[in-house]
Amino acid sequence: MIEITHLFSALGDPTRFAIVTKLLRDGAQPAGQLQSVAEMSAPAISRHLKILRDAGLVHQRVAGQSRIYSVVPAAVQAIHGWTMDHETFWTGSLERLEAALEEHDKS
Amino acid sequence: MTTVTMERVFKAAPDTVFKFVTQTDHLLRWWGPEGMHVPEHNLSFEAKGPWMSTMQNEEGQKFKVSGHVTHVEAPHSVGFTWAWHDENNARGVESHVTIKLVPDQSGGTKFTLTHAELPGDEVAQNHVEGWTSSLRRLNAIAN
Repeated sequence: MIEITHLFSALGDPTRFAIVTKLLRDGAQPAGQLQSVAEMSAPAISRHLKILRDAGLVHQRVAGQSRIYSVVPAAVQAIHGWTMDHETFWTGSLERLEAALEEHDKS
Repeated sequence: MTTVTMERVFKAAPDTVFKFVTQTDHLLRWWGPEGMHVPEHNLSFEAKGPWMSTMQNEEGQKFKVSGHVTHVEAPHSVGFTWAWHDENNARGVESHVTIKLVPDQSGGTKFTLTHAELPGDEVAQNHVEGWTSSLRRLNAIAN
């Protein structure tokens, strides 16, 4: 179960936001490649990755010697769903209003 | 934050459209984008007073919004305040919705909806804007 507040608190750190952005842009990556997002030691990056995993944002897969990280699609969808803005609401609603009015006209 | 303005022309007369935008039973037929339902509501814009609705999508995510009806002039205009609640039920930045109905020459209705942010709480707005732009970026990359 993904909690939106956990996603946001995990993303509310520039390094973690950069890690997730890189994973979204470039696809799955081994931890070593993620070090380029910040001037940080490998252990520091892996602490950030642990927080991202605990929040349900990032998935870890073991492939031989390396650990491959990727973004959990459901987490991004949860964020997307949460951001229903005014325009999304009204565009969708007014389409339905128009349909309801037409149905009303026929009856 | 931006103001959303939407215009539509409906074949129905203003009296009919006004019912659809103010009365509970009619509102529930269209309130929320496709795939949303409204399990909890106090949804009527027929008189001044509080209103609220909780929408739920097919994945079970809930979106609560609430406000106050600020004016009702049947069958021309209705206005209400609007604020989304977060999952801890804290009410966010307040905005204002105005719906205006003008009869057109062919017996139909020109419908104009304006959803405007209220001036004021700039810190909160900047906070929301910061999040919104981050999320837009995320979504743009994800899609």
